[in-house]
Amino acid sequence: MRHRTAFSDLPAPIRPRRSRPKRRPQQFQASPQRRSRLIWLLLMVAACLLLTRLAYLQLLQGDTLHEMARQQQVRPALLPLARRPITDRQGNLLAVDRTLYTLYGHPMLFRQAPGVVAQSLAPVLDQPANQLSALLRQQDTGLRLAEGLTEDTARQIRRLRLDGLELIPQQQRFYPQQELFAQTVGFVDIEGNAKTGLEMTEQRRLTVPQSATLPDLDAVLPVSNLQTKTPDPLQLTLDSRLQRVAQEALRDTLEKYSAARGTVLVMDVNTGALRAMAVEPTFDPNRYFDADLEWLKNWVVSDFYEPGSTLKPINVAIALEAGAIAPDSTVYDAGQIQIDEWTIENSDYESSGRQGTLTITEVLQYSSNVGMVGIMNQMLASEFYEWLEKLELDQLTGIDLPAEATPPLKDREQFINSPVDVATASFGQGLVLTPLKLLQLHGAIANGGKLVTPHVLEGLLGENGDLTWQPQRPAPKVVFSPETSQTVLQMMEKTVSDGSGKAAQLPGYRIAGKTGTAQKVTEYGYYGDGRITSFVGILPVEAPRFVVLAVIDEPWGDNIYGSTVAAPLVKEVMDALVVFEGIPPSSPQALGGIWVRP
Amino acid sequence: MMQSFYLGNRWKRWLRGWQQVDWLLFALPTLLMVFASVQIASTQINLEQTAYGWNHLILGLLGLGTALGLARFRYEHLLKWQWVIYGVVNVSLLAVIFVGTSGLGAQRWISIFGFHVQPSEFAKVGIIITLAAMLSAPNASTLWGVLRALAVAAVPWSLVFVQPDLGTSLVFGAITLGMLYWANVNPGWLVLMASPLVAAIVYHFSVPIWLIWSVGMGAVAWLSLPWRLMSTVLATAVNLVSGKLGEVFWGFLKDYQKDRLILFLDPDRDPLGGGYHLIQSRIAIGAGKVLGRGLHQGTQTQLSFIPEQHTDFIFSAIGEEWGFVGAIAVLLVFWLIFLRLVIIAQNAKDNFGSLLAVGVLSMLFFQVMVNISMTIGLAPVTGIPLPWVSYGRSALLSNFIALGIVESVANYRHRLRFKDP
Repeated sequence: MRHRTAFSDLPAPIRPRRSRPKRRPQQFQASPQRRSRLIWLLLMVAACLLLTRLAYLQLLQGDTLHEMARQQQVRPALLPLARRPITDRQGNLLAVDRTLYTLYGHPMLFRQAPGVVAQSLAPVLDQPANQLSALLRQQDTGLRLAEGLTEDTARQIRRLRLDGLELIPQQQRFYPQQELFAQTVGFVDIEGNAKTGLEMTEQRRLTVPQSATLPDLDAVLPVSNLQTKTPDPLQLTLDSRLQRVAQEALRDTLEKYSAARGTVLVMDVNTGALRAMAVEPTFDPNRYFDADLEWLKNWVVSDFYEPGSTLKPINVAIALEAGAIAPDSTVYDAGQIQIDEWTIENSDYESSGRQGTLTITEVLQYSSNVGMVGIMNQMLASEFYEWLEKLELDQLTGIDLPAEATPPLKDREQFINSPVDVATASFGQGLVLTPLKLLQLHGAIANGGKLVTPHVLEGLLGENGDLTWQPQRPAPKVVFSPETSQTVLQMMEKTVSDGSGKAAQLPGYRIAGKTGTAQKVTEYGYYGDGRITSFVGILPVEAPRFVVLAVIDEPWGDNIYGSTVAAPLVKEVMDALVVFEGIPPSSPQALGGIWVRP
Repeated sequence: MMQSFYLGNRWKRWLRGWQQVDWLLFALPTLLMVFASVQIASTQINLEQTAYGWNHLILGLLGLGTALGLARFRYEHLLKWQWVIYGVVNVSLLAVIFVGTSGLGAQRWISIFGFHVQPSEFAKVGIIITLAAMLSAPNASTLWGVLRALAVAAVPWSLVFVQPDLGTSLVFGAITLGMLYWANVNPGWLVLMASPLVAAIVYHFSVPIWLIWSVGMGAVAWLSLPWRLMSTVLATAVNLVSGKLGEVFWGFLKDYQKDRLILFLDPDRDPLGGGYHLIQSRIAIGAGKVLGRGLHQGTQTQLSFIPEQHTDFIFSAIGEEWGFVGAIAVLLVFWLIFLRLVIIAQNAKDNFGSLLAVGVLSMLFFQVMVNISMTIGLAPVTGIPLPWVSYGRSALLSNFIALGIVESVANYRHRLRFKDP
C-alpha cells in the first residue's frame, strides 16, 4: 500500500500503547482494519434491513397495497355526472345533478381547540360560532355539523385545512325551481330512481350513455382529465316566468276560495307546445318525501271532469261543421225543458225565466243550456256521437307526460238511445275529459280547426344552441274548417266583450273565451253542491296564438262561477303572457294610444 | 499541431487541480440530484408548482460547482478556522431562535437577502469540521479529550434541540458518535454514552431486561473506565435512574408527540391522524410493485395522498413510480457513496482528513437510514430529509459542501509527490 493509512503510525500521544505498556482500562486501541470492519458490517446490516423491508412491501404485499391505493383513488366524488340537466325554453335550469356534502366533525382529531375550529367554520357554514363550539364539545367523534353543503362551501371548508373534519359527498338531483315544475319534471329519489314526470318517461334519454364501470384511474392521468363535461340538457317548451305567474295566481285563487285543486294551462295553439302548466296541489321535488302521495299525481293529465259550459263552443262548432245550423240560425230558449223524467233548465232560470228566441252567439253569450240542447237537437244523436269520436274524446291527447288516462266515452248505443244523455252532452255535462283534452279542443277553435298534440318537450339542446334531437309527433288532424272555427271564435269574443266572460277582458286586446260552471257528481252518482269552475280564453282573436285554460275544483263561497273564479285568473295570466310574448294590442286606442313594442 | 498540443496541455494542467479527486463520488450525488429534480417535479405536477423541480436542479448545479471548488481548496486550512466556524454555527443557530421564521411548528429558518436559510443544515458540516479538528489533536481519545469534544458538540446540539428540531439533533448525535468511534475512543465509553437512552426505552417494555441492562452497563464501566468501583456504581445508577426518568419525561410529552414516536409500530391505530403519513407512504411504495408505475404515473403520488412528498417523503414517490427496481437503484447509489467515503477515510493522509470523511459518512448514513426507514414503516416520522434527493435548498447546498470537503481530503491525500508512478 502506497498511501499511509490514517491512525496507523501516528506520533506517540495517539498511540498510547507504546508509551504506556501497562494496560489502562480507559485506553482502548482497535486497529484501523477492525474499525473499518465494524463500519462495513453496519453498512451491510443496514442495507439488508432496508432491502428486506422493501422486498416485503413491494414484492410480497405489492398486490394488496396496490388494491388499497386503487380503492382510495376511486371515490364517489370523482364519478362523472350521470343525468342530463332539464331546462325551460330560456335555458333556466329546472333539474340538475349536483354533489352535496355532509360535514362531520371528529374533535378528537382536531389540532386546535374546538372553539378555534368553530370560529373558522362559523362564517363558512353560516352558523353562530358559540353554538357550533358547544356542539363540538358534545362528543369526541362523529358529529354531524351540517348537511346539504354545496361544492362551493365544501371547497371553502377544505381550504381551511383543518384536521378532524370529514366531508361525505353524495350525488343528488337538484330542482332549483322547487315546486314550480314538480308536476311536469317529476323527481328522482335518493336512490337515483326516477319516480314521476319527465324524469320517469324520459329516463333513457336523460341518462347519459357511458360504461357502467368505475373509471380506471391508471389510464386517465394526469388528473385534470378527470374533469367531466355536463351533458347536453333536455329543453322544455315551458316558460319559467309565465309558469311562476300562473302558479302564484292559481295558488292565490285556490286560497281565496278554499278550493281543493286547480290548474292553469297555456298552450301555443299552432304547435301544441305548452308554455305553462301550473298545477295545484304540488310538492317540492327536493323534499319529495314530505309530499302527500296524492300530490305526486298530475291530475291535469290523469283525472277527468265534466267540462260544463266550456264545451259549448265545441258543440256549436260541431253543429256548424255538420251543417245542422248556420251562423245566423236562431233557437228558442224556453228556460226549462222536460226530457223523459229529467228537467233541464238554465242556471239563471229561477231569476230570469225564459229567454225567448236567441241567436247562436247569444246562446254562448248567456251560456244557455236549453239553447244548446235546441242546437244539438238539430242533428242526429248518432252524428253527434260520431263527432265526439272524431274529436278523439275517447283517446289520449298524446302528451309526453306519464299517466295520461283514456277518457271513457259512453257506449254508442246507450248514447244514441238516451235523449237525456244527448241533451246533457250538449252543454258539457254527462261526459268527461281531462283539462288537457279541453285545452286541445279549444286549440282547434283557435288555430283554424287542427287537433295539435299538446307537449312539453322541446328536445336535446346541443352545445351551439341547436337541437340535436326533437321528438316526432303526428301531423295535426283537421277537424273543423277555418270558417267554422273563425265563426265560433267570433261568437266567443262576444262572450268576453259582452257576456259572462267580461272578467277576462284585457284592455286593448281582442279575447275570445267561455266560462264554465259544472256541477260535480257526488260519490253516490247525483249532482251535489260541489262545482268545477273554469274559463278558457283565446288570444288575440285576429290571429290566435295562445289558449289559456283555468280549472278550479270545488271552490267555496257565495259567488262561485267560471266568470267570477276562473275568468280573473285567466286574465291575470294573459296579462303576463302578452308582455312575455310581446303580443301587440289589437286596438292601441284602447290603451290610450301608448304601446311600446317590447 | 503545436496549438492542439498546447491546448491539450493547458486542459491537462487545468484539470491537474483535481487529479486525485474521486470522480465517482462527484458523479453519484449529481446523478441523485438530477433524478430527484425530475421526481420532485412529478410530485408537484398536479399541484401546479413546477418551480420546485427547477429550483432543485439549479441549486444542485450551484452546489456541485461549490463542491468542485472546495475540492481544490486544501482542507488542512480548515484547522485554522475551526473556532471561527464553530462560532458562526452557534451564532446562526442563536439567530434562528431570536429572529427566525416559524414553520411546521418550529423555528428553523432565518431570512438572508430574501432567501430562507436553514442554519441547522449548515451546522451539521460545521460540527463535523470542529469535531474533526478537536479529535485529531493529540490526547483526543483520552477520557478528558472525549469529554471536551462532547462539551463542544453539546452547545450547537442543544441550540438545535430547543428549536425544536429533534431530527437534526439526532443527526448531530450520530455524527458525534461516529467520529468518536473513528477517533479510537474506547467503544465501551460510546456504549455508556448511549446507555441511558436505551435504559429509558427498555424500562418501558420490560423491567427485568432494564435491570440486566443496568448491571451490564456497570460491567462495561468496570472494564473501560478509571476509578473502577465508583464508575461502575455510577454507570449502574445512571441507567437505573434514567429508566424511571424516561417514564417521567414521557409523561411530559403531548399525546401527538408520543404518537409520533411510537405510531410507526402500529399506524393503523390512528389511520387519519398520526398514522396517516406512515400508512399512505407504505401504500404508495407497495403499490409500485416490481417495476413501478412509471414517472408521472404513480397515482398516490399524482393525487397527492402524501403530504410533504417532495421533501421528507420523496422516497415514497420513487418507490411508487419506479418500483422495487428503482428503490434498490437509489439504495445502491447511496451505498456506493458510503463505500467511497470509507475508502477516502482509510486513505487520508492525516487524522483530520480521515475524521472529516467519517463525519460526513456518519451524517449521510444516519439520514439515509432514518429517512428511508420512516417511509417504509421501520422508524417514526422525524423531519430528516434524504440527502440530495429531498427538496430543501439549505440541505442540498450543505450536502454538496460536505462532499467538496471530503473530495479535498481525497485530492490532497499525498503529503508530497515527487514523480508520477
